[in-house]
Amino acid sequence: MFTETPIDRRKRLTENVMRIFLLVVTSVMIIPLLLIIGYLLYKAIPVLSLEFLFSNPRDNMRAGGIWAPFLGTIYLVVVSLLVSAPIGVFAAVYLNEYARESWFTRITNLAVVNLAGVPSIVHALFGVGAFVLFAGLGESILAASLTLAIMTLPVIIASTTEALKAVPMPFREACWNLGATRWQTIRRIVIPNSISGILTGVILQVSRAAGETAPIMFTGAVFYKAIAEGNLFAYNITEQCMALSLHLFTISTQVPDVTEGTPHGTAVVLVGSVLLVNAAAIILRVYLRTRKKW
Amino acid sequence: MRNKIEISDLQVHYGDQSALNGISFDVQPNEILGIIGPAQSGKTTLLKVINRTLEFVPEATLNGTVKLDGVDISTIGDVYGLRRRIGMVLPLPVGLPLSIYDNVAFAPRAAGLRSKSQLDELVERCLQQAALWDEVKDRLNTLGTKLSGGQQQRLTIARALSHQPEVLCLDEFSIAIDPVTTMRIEEVLKTLQKEMTILLVTNLVQQAKRLATRTAFFLNGDLIEIDSTDVIFSDTPTQQATYDYVNGTFG
Repeated sequence: MFTETPIDRRKRLTENVMRIFLLVVTSVMIIPLLLIIGYLLYKAIPVLSLEFLFSNPRDNMRAGGIWAPFLGTIYLVVVSLLVSAPIGVFAAVYLNEYARESWFTRITNLAVVNLAGVPSIVHALFGVGAFVLFAGLGESILAASLTLAIMTLPVIIASTTEALKAVPMPFREACWNLGATRWQTIRRIVIPNSISGILTGVILQVSRAAGETAPIMFTGAVFYKAIAEGNLFAYNITEQCMALSLHLFTISTQVPDVTEGTPHGTAVVLVGSVLLVNAAAIILRVYLRTRKKW
Repeated sequence: MRNKIEISDLQVHYGDQSALNGISFDVQPNEILGIIGPAQSGKTTLLKVINRTLEFVPEATLNGTVKLDGVDISTIGDVYGLRRRIGMVLPLPVGLPLSIYDNVAFAPRAAGLRSKSQLDELVERCLQQAALWDEVKDRLNTLGTKLSGGQQQRLTIARALSHQPEVLCLDEFSIAIDPVTTMRIEEVLKTLQKEMTILLVTNLVQQAKRLATRTAFFLNGDLIEIDSTDVIFSDTPTQQATYDYVNGTFG
């Protein structure tokens, strides 16, 4: 007959205490997130409407909607990822699939790791020097997007490298033994089986690019600019634009007597868009994983 | 008869470590050459030298020559063409994450074959040669990776045959599969011998005894002895080490 010894009892007690402790810690982490979203939604409900999304700010930004900054953020994110995603993915493919261990790859990998940790304000100053002044792009969507691209590039390289490494080496060896070139191996086996990881890594950078204020405020984002409402092509990428993150900062701190709820509504749109894109990434990942092939 | 493969004074180092210390031997056309020896004796390295995939190992250095049909393989410009002349079957079955059909069609497609009818015919022939056709002919579109281990190993053999190699190298092919499948593949090899030269690296000395025309015994990167299988497995091979290894009284 089994009877509980004092040692058993102590182990059981410790086990329960740890379980509860870990649960509490996890809850503490989730509660602020829920509070933020709940508070924002509560405050924003009165102003949230399609009209809010599709009309420009009015009365010196005290009232009206967020169309100009909303579209500006979309421009900045899309243009920056159009630059950083291909370059980042190809660079990662080169580093992981072609390059041999050498001083060049070691320095590149070191640069990737360190660039990922550079504060965004430093990227901003680099963007001013390199794109606005040296390249002569002026303060423009292009200059701001390129600055964001430089900021997201190392992270895309890192996440793509992880995705490529997840494809087992024996697959590559089998292909080489069959007389396939490296590129044939990459195109037929490596990329198709790492694409979900690669895309997830790229899509997660949308939220970073959309949320950053510092890199764009000196390189292309302006406090106010009226554009044609409802026209998706209202911006020219050689000109400046508004952006949600900067707009939120402006109406929260720089403009007096803003209509109640407008900053909250702006924040909800920013957070909501980012969550929507991230959710798309998760769905894509789940979908591609159900087709996992080994 | 002209030698299919001539190896002379072949040395391979991985960094400071020697894997093959200057070995020389010939392989005859249409023979099954059994290659036996304990782990770390350089057998796998030898196969990597022959299809030049050793070039993917960054720290490996190579001296000596390997000739295929009298041509030094290091002078062959089209390394991918060379690899297609040599079929390679590795110890662990690796079904590529493609359909069964695409697994077998991979190498011909990589070589530029596009014709659907020719591919169909080739896939069927290779799967039949590998004794897998009857089990998979109704589900060629399912994933190769979902097959059982023994089936996957026959799939890799079909794949190795798909580029119609002159030399088939098998590296301990039976290590991950059941005895029944092993015996089936051994029967397949006896048939294939009529069409190609086979290098059979094996840990099972009895497998070499059953199949090999000649057998080579490797030990610590040296070729100790190569002779007809009857001699190697007799009571009187030239080297005592060979006798000890074959009879299981080794070290």
